Amino acid sequence: MVNFLIRRIIAMIVMFLVITFVAYNVLSLAPGGPLQELQQQQQNNANRLDPFAIERVMVRYEFDLDLIPRYTRWLMGQPNGPLNLFGQEMFGATQVGCLRKGETIFKYPDGRVVVSDCEVPVYLNDLKGRAVSKGILALDFGTSQGVLRGRPVSEVLNSRIGLTLLLQGISSLLALAIAVPLGIYTAVKQYSKLDYATTTVAFLGSSLPSLFWGLMGLLVFAVLFKQWGLPYFPAGTFVSNTPQTVPLIGVIEPESFGDRAWHLILPILILTFVSLSGWIRYIRASVLEVLKQDYVRTARAKGLTERAVILKHAVRNALIPFITLVVTILPGLVAGAIITETIFSLPGVGNLLVAAIYGSDYNVAMAVLLLSVVLTLIAYVLADILYTVADPRIRLR
Amino acid sequence: MAITAINPQKENEKSRKPLARADTQFSIVARRFRRHRLAMVSLLVLGVIFAASILARQISPFERDYLNVESGAKFLPPFSTSPETGAIHWLGTNQIGQDLFTRLIYAARISLTTAILATTLSTLVGTILGTLAGYFRGIVDSVIQRVIDFFSNLPTLPILLILTAVLVTDPRLIPIPTFLIKLLQAIMLFDQEREARVVAALILILTLLGWTGVARLMRGQVLQVREREFVEGARALGASSLAIITRHIVPNAFPPVIVAFTLGLASSLTAETSLSFLGIGIQNPIPTWGNMLAFTQSYMFERPYLPLIPAFPMFLCSVAFNFIGDGLRDALDPRQTK
Repeated sequence: MVNFLIRRIIAMIVMFLVITFVAYNVLSLAPGGPLQELQQQQQNNANRLDPFAIERVMVRYEFDLDLIPRYTRWLMGQPNGPLNLFGQEMFGATQVGCLRKGETIFKYPDGRVVVSDCEVPVYLNDLKGRAVSKGILALDFGTSQGVLRGRPVSEVLNSRIGLTLLLQGISSLLALAIAVPLGIYTAVKQYSKLDYATTTVAFLGSSLPSLFWGLMGLLVFAVLFKQWGLPYFPAGTFVSNTPQTVPLIGVIEPESFGDRAWHLILPILILTFVSLSGWIRYIRASVLEVLKQDYVRTARAKGLTERAVILKHAVRNALIPFITLVVTILPGLVAGAIITETIFSLPGVGNLLVAAIYGSDYNVAMAVLLLSVVLTLIAYVLADILYTVADPRIRLR
Repeated sequence: MAITAINPQKENEKSRKPLARADTQFSIVARRFRRHRLAMVSLLVLGVIFAASILARQISPFERDYLNVESGAKFLPPFSTSPETGAIHWLGTNQIGQDLFTRLIYAARISLTTAILATTLSTLVGTILGTLAGYFRGIVDSVIQRVIDFFSNLPTLPILLILTAVLVTDPRLIPIPTFLIKLLQAIMLFDQEREARVVAALILILTLLGWTGVARLMRGQVLQVREREFVEGARALGASSLAIITRHIVPNAFPPVIVAFTLGLASSLTAETSLSFLGIGIQNPIPTWGNMLAFTQSYMFERPYLPLIPAFPMFLCSVAFNFIGDGLRDALDPRQTK
């Protein structure tokens, strides 16, 4: 077990490094970036920016550095100057980036001639005294470059994550609370009326994405219900600015608890419905599989009550899929509601990620990605550990 | 599936009829599939949508990006006549006066081709890698397993968003041979090569993130099949690994992959639609169901019918893929003897 955990943690660290490195590099390949706006301003004569101003911005966003030093500075705040060994500064003249591109010929006093494609190189020495984040390993996500320019990313994330946690937390718990009993029940009472109804609804729910159900929900419960004079839900806003009169419910004061709830009910219901549908099918299938096994027949033959057969023998053996399911909630807590948040204009993390990608805010995008990668990795290890608890036959080696 | 509502007694009567000797595996599966009524209806519906999208240029009354410059041609209601050409806007026009029916058909062509190509490619990659891992085991297996673990531990949607955002804005970052781009351009009826590059980039991204499921499935299947007697027999007769894999292992391990392919079509379609909806995948002026939905969302208060226009074919296709997948799963199930 300990051995297994050590190996898994090492594998997790490697994966973490690979994913972040690849993602960081892919993002920096993106054309434009935060500088595009400034460069366009420079081309526009009316609002002329001098090239040095752009270079200063480049330095602030570290776009003058090569990928690897930039990544390591983002990861752990190093290198921030020449290597300091026993009071000796070393490698100070190593080139780590290029501030201005352009072919330049360097003639050294000893006769060497070096042709470089960099006009103003950046050396390790230049990094001394430059502002740097502590690195994500120290939980410092750096500075936002687009969404809230200049503010720490953690502040941006903090302002968004509560809503997503609320949405995903409530909807996952609701979905679990409905899916588990209903999944077991429909498996036990296969071909009953409730089974047909449930499987049909669950089939439709899981065939179509949250995009479809979200828009249809909005269309019916926000647009059409309003037109028909029925109690409706709001669309496209997160808080009301003026008191809203809803038929049959009454007046909803802006910024009150009722207002919050009114805005969140529909997205939560949509999220619940979509995950619920998949989960019911999953649980039903795994319980059905277990019910066919010989030991269930044995348990019945022993004369156990149906209740004991199902709860002690069938469900216990169908626990493994349950665990897989519960554990997948974890990574969804951060960026699991991207589409729903966009449809309902809810300022959560998913919405933030989309905004960060639009605004080339790489530090924010990387932070969101990072959180979901870490949560996914933790979820899988957690699942492996829980498997051994649920089924003593599984040994982790 | 419970949805098919098969009466068990009726089934028994049918199975009492002696099976003809000449039944091939294919005809047995085909007969079982035909009995799955919803899957057959789905096949028909999909056939109609496919036919419409194949004949896009012939059916559609307008050019894809045709702009009705007449003022007042915006948001024409369905069945109205175009003031310029006299042709009928079957589904009306959008916010800038483009014919929605035309764009819907082209979008079907683009969305469905993207889904089919992405799923085919990822199934192909998954099958090959899964077969290699299952057949050769040992080091090949552990390397491929690590790669599968890596990809399946990724948070799919965030990664998809980031990759697409970067690669679709500058599709030249992925080197794709020009003749393939030309081919795609011809298939999707694009006027510009850039449009084809964007779609090609999206297809490759969906493939990159989509192959692991099939690989895992195929590996499991191959691990079972390679221990069967006929494989041992072939090996004893001196067949090469290649011959054993292509003639014995893949055909016997493949049925679950066919089901996975059908269901994969639905999820590729979903992924493409969602990305395009967010404005990160395929973007205007290329029509897809996803970006059409995104536009209708802004206008649905005044015109509630608008979102239904792209949502309906999307609904039909997703449900049809899932029904066909279920039908195939039942038909290919070896435990079923009828």
